[in-house]
Amino acid sequence: MRFFFNRGNGLGVGTVAALLIIWELYGRIHPTVYVPAFSTVFVTFIHEWFSPTFGQQAVPSLGRMIIGYTCASCIGIAIGIFIGTFKRLYQLLDPVLQFWRAIPATAIIPVGILLIGIGDPMKWVVIAFGSIWPILINTADGARLVPTERLDTARIFGLSPLETLVRVIVPSAAPMIAAGMRTGLSIAFIMIVVSEMIGSTDGLGYYILQAQRTFAIPEMYGGIALLAILGYLLNTLFVWCEHKVLAWHYGQTTRPA
Amino acid sequence: MQKKSSPVNWSGFGFFLVCVGIVEILARKGLLTSYVPPPSEIFSALWTGLINGDISSQIGVTLSVYVRGLFLATTSAIFIGILMGTYKPVFDSLKIIVEFLRPVPSVAIIPLAILFFGLGPTMRISVITYAAFWPLLINTIYGVRAIDPQALDVARNFGITGGEALWRVTLPSALAGITTGFRVSATIALVVTITTELIAGNNGVGFYISQMEQANRLPPMYAAIILTGIMGYLLNTFYFALERRFVFWTPAARDRVT
Repeated sequence: MRFFFNRGNGLGVGTVAALLIIWELYGRIHPTVYVPAFSTVFVTFIHEWFSPTFGQQAVPSLGRMIIGYTCASCIGIAIGIFIGTFKRLYQLLDPVLQFWRAIPATAIIPVGILLIGIGDPMKWVVIAFGSIWPILINTADGARLVPTERLDTARIFGLSPLETLVRVIVPSAAPMIAAGMRTGLSIAFIMIVVSEMIGSTDGLGYYILQAQRTFAIPEMYGGIALLAILGYLLNTLFVWCEHKVLAWHYGQTTRPA
Repeated sequence: MQKKSSPVNWSGFGFFLVCVGIVEILARKGLLTSYVPPPSEIFSALWTGLINGDISSQIGVTLSVYVRGLFLATTSAIFIGILMGTYKPVFDSLKIIVEFLRPVPSVAIIPLAILFFGLGPTMRISVITYAAFWPLLINTIYGVRAIDPQALDVARNFGITGGEALWRVTLPSALAGITTGFRVSATIALVVTITTELIAGNNGVGFYISQMEQANRLPPMYAAIILTGIMGYLLNTFYFALERRFVFWTPAARDRVT
C-alpha cells in the first residue's frame, strides 16, 4: 500500500478526475445502454447499497466467505504445522498436496454442487477448499524451514515438545503463514463470486450476473464497484492485522520502505 | 531448500498411488456416494476422451484463448510497467487507478465482458487479460525500480542512453521481476480461462466440465477437472524450463547454480 500512497498524489487524483469526467461526458453525449454516465452509476450505487439490498445480497456473500475462509485457515494451519514438523510426513504427502493445488479451484465447484447441492454448505466447502492450499503449503514450508539454531536453543533450554511448538515453531512460521493466508484470502473472494454465479439465488456474484442478464446495467456496474470496494477493504484490513500481529517480525528484519 | 536424499520422491509418489488405490477399492465397494466414481473409470474416461477427440478438441480451444489473453496481458503490462517504473510523472498519474482497479476480483468483470463482447472467445480473452495484467504490472514496476543505479551510471559512461539503455540495461535487469510476475500471471490466467468457460463459455475444457456435470456423466467430468490440473502443471514446468534457459542472469537463477 505504502508503495502507492506517497508523494505526488495530485497527479493521480487529477488523472482519476479526468477519467471520470470523460466517462460522464461520454455517457451523456453517447447515451447507450452499455455505458451509462458515471453520475447514473453513482446514484444507483448509493440507492442500491444504502438500502436493504445490502443485507440481502452483500451480507450473505460476506458471511459465506468468512465461514469458508476461517475453516480453511484453521484446518490449513493445523495440518500444515503437523506436516511441516514431521519431515518424513511432508515428503510422503508432498505429491498429493501438489496434485490438489494444481487443480484450478473454481473447477471443483461443479463437484461441490453435485455432492452437496447449491445451498450455503456447498459454498463454505468450495471456498474452504479453494483457499486452503496456499495456507496449508505455506504453513508446512514455514514449519519445516525453522532455523536449526532456534530448535537447538529450545532443546538447550529444555522446552517440552508442546512448548517448542507454541513458542518456537509457530512464531517462526508466522510470516509464511501470513503470506499464505493473504493469497488464500484473494482466492476465497474469487471463489465466493464464482460459486454464486454458478449456483445461487442470492449474493453479490448472483446479483451482478443477474443484473447483466436483465439489462440492469447501472446496477451491474454498481455491484462490480461494491465488490472492488469490499476486496480493497478486506485486503487493507488483512494487511493492518498482519502488521499488528507480526510487528516483532518486521522489527527484526530490515524492511524495504 | 531442503536437501533431498533422492532426486525423485519415491515414497511420496508411492503414497499417492496408495491413496488412489484406497479410493478405488472404497468406490468399487460402494462405500462412497455414487457421485465419486472409481479412479480407474476416471482415467479410462480421460484416455478415451483424449483419443476420440471429445476432450482433446476442447484443450485446443482453451489453450488458444489462454495464450492470446496471456500474450496481450504480458506485452501491455511490461510496456506500461517500464513506463511507470522509469518515468515518475507516469507513475504518479496512474498509481491511484492501479491501486483501485487491482483489487477488483477478475471474475467480477465477467458480466461486463459478456455485455461488451458476447459469449465468444473475445470475452474470455478480455477477462484473462485483465486478470493476468496486474501481477505482471506490479512486478515489472518493482523490477525496473530495483535496478542497480551503478549499472545505469556505467552505461552512461559508455555513452549508452535513452532507448539503448532501456533495451540493454533496464529490460535485462527488470527481467528478474518480470519473470516472477509472469509465473503468477500465467497461473491466474489458466484459472480464469477455466472459470470463464465454466460460467459463460460455449466451448473449452471449463465448458466441458459444466456440460458433463449437467448431463450427470461423472467420469468425464472428473477427467476434465484432473486434466486442468495436469495442464497447469505442464505449463508451469514449461515456463520454468524457459526461464532457466533464457533468463539465466537473474538472482533467482544464480541461486540455482551456486
